Amino acid sequence: MATRLQFENSCEVGVFSKLTNAYCLVAIGGSENFYSTFEGELADIIPVVKTSIGGTRIIGRLCAGNKNGLLLPHTTTDQELQHLRNSLPDSVIVQRVEERLSALGNCIACNDHVALTHTDLDRETEEMIADVLGVEVFRQTIAGNILVGSYCAFSNRGGLVHPHTSIEDLDELSTLLQVPLVAGTVNRGSDVIAAGLTVNDWTAFCGSDTTATELSVIESVFKLREAQPSAIVDEMRKSLIDTYV
Amino acid sequence: MVQYNFKKITVVPTGKDFVDIILSRTQRQTPTVVHKGYAISRIRQFYMRKVKYTQQNFHEKLSTIIDEFPRLDDIHPFYGDLLHVLYNKDHYKLALGQINTARNLIGKVSKDYVKLLKYGDSLYRCKSLKVAALGRMCTVIKRIGPSLAYLEQIRQHMARLPSIDPNTRTILICGYPNVGKSSFINKITRADVDVQPYAFTTKSLFVGHTDYKYLRYQVIDTPGILDRPFEDRNIIEMCSITALAHLRAAVLFFLDLSGSCGYSIAQQAALFHSIKSLFMNKPLVIVCNKTDLQPLETLPEEDMKLVMEMKSEAMKTVVGEGGEPTDDAGVLLTMSTLTEEGVIAVKNAACERLLNQRVELKMKSKKINDCLNRFHVAIPKPRDQKERPVCIPQAVLEAKAKKAEEAAEKEKRKLERDLENENGGAGVYSASLKKHYILANDEWKEDIMPEILDGHNVYDFIDPDILQRLEELEREEGLRQEQEADDDFEMDDTELTPEQQELLAQIRKKKSLLIQQHRMKKATGGRRPTVPRLFDKDRQFTSGRMGRELSRVGIDPSLAINRARDKSRGRKRERSSERGDDNAMDVDGGQLRKKLRRSIDTSRSSRSRSRSRNPNEVVPGEGLKDSAQKAKARKLDKKSSNKRNKDAKRGEADRTIPNLKPKHLFSGKRSTGKTQRR
Repeated sequence: MATRLQFENSCEVGVFSKLTNAYCLVAIGGSENFYSTFEGELADIIPVVKTSIGGTRIIGRLCAGNKNGLLLPHTTTDQELQHLRNSLPDSVIVQRVEERLSALGNCIACNDHVALTHTDLDRETEEMIADVLGVEVFRQTIAGNILVGSYCAFSNRGGLVHPHTSIEDLDELSTLLQVPLVAGTVNRGSDVIAAGLTVNDWTAFCGSDTTATELSVIESVFKLREAQPSAIVDEMRKSLIDTYV
Repeated sequence: MVQYNFKKITVVPTGKDFVDIILSRTQRQTPTVVHKGYAISRIRQFYMRKVKYTQQNFHEKLSTIIDEFPRLDDIHPFYGDLLHVLYNKDHYKLALGQINTARNLIGKVSKDYVKLLKYGDSLYRCKSLKVAALGRMCTVIKRIGPSLAYLEQIRQHMARLPSIDPNTRTILICGYPNVGKSSFINKITRADVDVQPYAFTTKSLFVGHTDYKYLRYQVIDTPGILDRPFEDRNIIEMCSITALAHLRAAVLFFLDLSGSCGYSIAQQAALFHSIKSLFMNKPLVIVCNKTDLQPLETLPEEDMKLVMEMKSEAMKTVVGEGGEPTDDAGVLLTMSTLTEEGVIAVKNAACERLLNQRVELKMKSKKINDCLNRFHVAIPKPRDQKERPVCIPQAVLEAKAKKAEEAAEKEKRKLERDLENENGGAGVYSASLKKHYILANDEWKEDIMPEILDGHNVYDFIDPDILQRLEELEREEGLRQEQEADDDFEMDDTELTPEQQELLAQIRKKKSLLIQQHRMKKATGGRRPTVPRLFDKDRQFTSGRMGRELSRVGIDPSLAINRARDKSRGRKRERSSERGDDNAMDVDGGQLRKKLRRSIDTSRSSRSRSRSRNPNEVVPGEGLKDSAQKAKARKLDKKSSNKRNKDAKRGEADRTIPNLKPKHLFSGKRSTGKTQRR
């Protein structure tokens, strides 16, 4: 089930939140609206934690994580680290990474089994990703963009990537990640997928600019309802052609 | 894509207002003070400016009108024709043409009068010329008054036109008056079109929007059309015809089977055939409305034949779309807007056929190649045997199953948002971040975490497994203690051989010597000798020794020792920590320290900072003998440049007497005596 929402009049909800299968991080906003949308959807199941990282609200772009662990940039303060360790269950390893590219969320895209990373990431960081998150790590680009964390979003069930990814790239990435992939957009044509969308295995949150067609693509590729990815080529094909072309 | 928004055209003022606006602006924004005594060029310039400024303003205003009104030839033909139908193209163009002429005329007037003003020889004449120029400009505007009024009316009307996008997915509803077109649009969209039981209730185009298969469709309700020659049609009908002719849309042709609209099926069929050329290349659906009054099945024979004729005509559009000629679904549909029976089926059929047609077209276009990757779902090929299961908590699955059964019964969780609203709203309520901590003991949640302790960042010393390690250490210590208890014995000389004993004695002696030397070194360490090394090669002239000697001869040494210590050179001042925090010390001791430093400076050969020299000091290489000579030279130098400097500083405002002795005062003869002797 995908939900459309806004963070203080910004549709880039993936910037201000981080959703995984074991926890959800939410930026501290002026009001509780944004937090409560997540809370209402998730709080019975996984911890929904309000936090800042390095004193900023762009937490989704700064940290990377899955159900096994959470990687934080070196800008994270001790207090924030302690706060996160206190709030997350013990099964989640919280670790600070001394990496020059400190926007880890932009540089790392991962689900519970595989991670794509920025090509220039340190070897130590790569090892840490493999250890803490328990994933296979691949250095990749998406449609020529090295910020893999920004231009794709995937869960264990499916993934959405930059709209300019070629069919060959799609197939290659899909084989690496072992999930079905579709090239698409969010937020009325925005190609920074991860900024407009945050997703786990059973739910998704996207910016309120997202159109009905985009939303239906998201729901089918992430299998959020009964829909299957094949719906995109079957039932929705005509609508998609009419909107894109 | 061009957006058709006629709502943003600026207001066109009436002729009188126009003149007022421009003249008052000229008055406000150009200089107003001029005097007879001014140079004539200045006066001319003053009035020329007024004339030019007025002309510029007129030009600007008129240009915005000309630019902002759409040119009927440039916009989409649908809007072009619609505007022609509503306002008459000729009249519209004429009005805009007049505005253009006026703009040119005003330009010419201004040019002429500026030329004349160049020859104006007095303030009065210049002023008269200006008045004449402005007057003529105003007359021009006054003459185009009716055109301005007409354009303003058109502007107001255009602002109220529905914003129809000619290129998007469109469904067009047409048919005889009073057949239920407006009722239908009210049913499928949220447009609120007036529905009345008389003909021509709808007098212009109305737009509503509806959704089908994730896409938005624009639904246009047109006024009814009568079956009569094209030339006889009125403006209201022509709106419909324009929309039909220019919009690439799905057309719904409404038929009233019951004839309660006042027109028989034969008449409606005649209309259909007379405008069928407008349906070319468009998905056409014939909608039989008002089936609650007259179902299609019980229609009389001849009427049925007419309907079937229309249907076969409409089938041709299906063939045009590339569909099967036998596929007659969605060509002839029945519905009743009263009972809402079949309404959604009609909408879906129309949308589906329009979508099919558009997709067909787009598949042929070149742009499709850029987007092909978006219609592709990449399905992974297995690359290893590893299982990658999804991770959905049981609670989610349960909630999903439950939702299907009792969605309504789910009790609502109290959200932070509710708490916020209860406690004063956003900005007032601040939620505790510690509320949801997962700790061993819930009482610890609100504990204050120490951050800095004794100047140390506590977090640097936090060890997550400290308890475990402590246990380990304790265990280790216990082991060691046990071991020590086991082999608790003293080293004894007795157990050693004499050789070993000797060796041990040697080692001990050497050790004590080393310690002694070290202590001695430490006692004098870093200190300068009291007596210069030069005289104290063996380091025997110590105050201690002096004391010993003196007391041996029976003198109390304490005074002498104290004096010697006073006189001895102290330790050289080291690079002290105080130098580091200069700023902190300057607050109180600044004055003193400065003095101190200067005294130190003089004693040093190298200066640490620059200092000014006495200007009269003789510097070797200047070629001056002594300071007296140098002083003299400086004085001369100053004096020589004095006049030049004064000249350089002189400004316009300084008093000057150009000629101290004007010749006319001092030459020539006077009536009484000479000039000099009077």
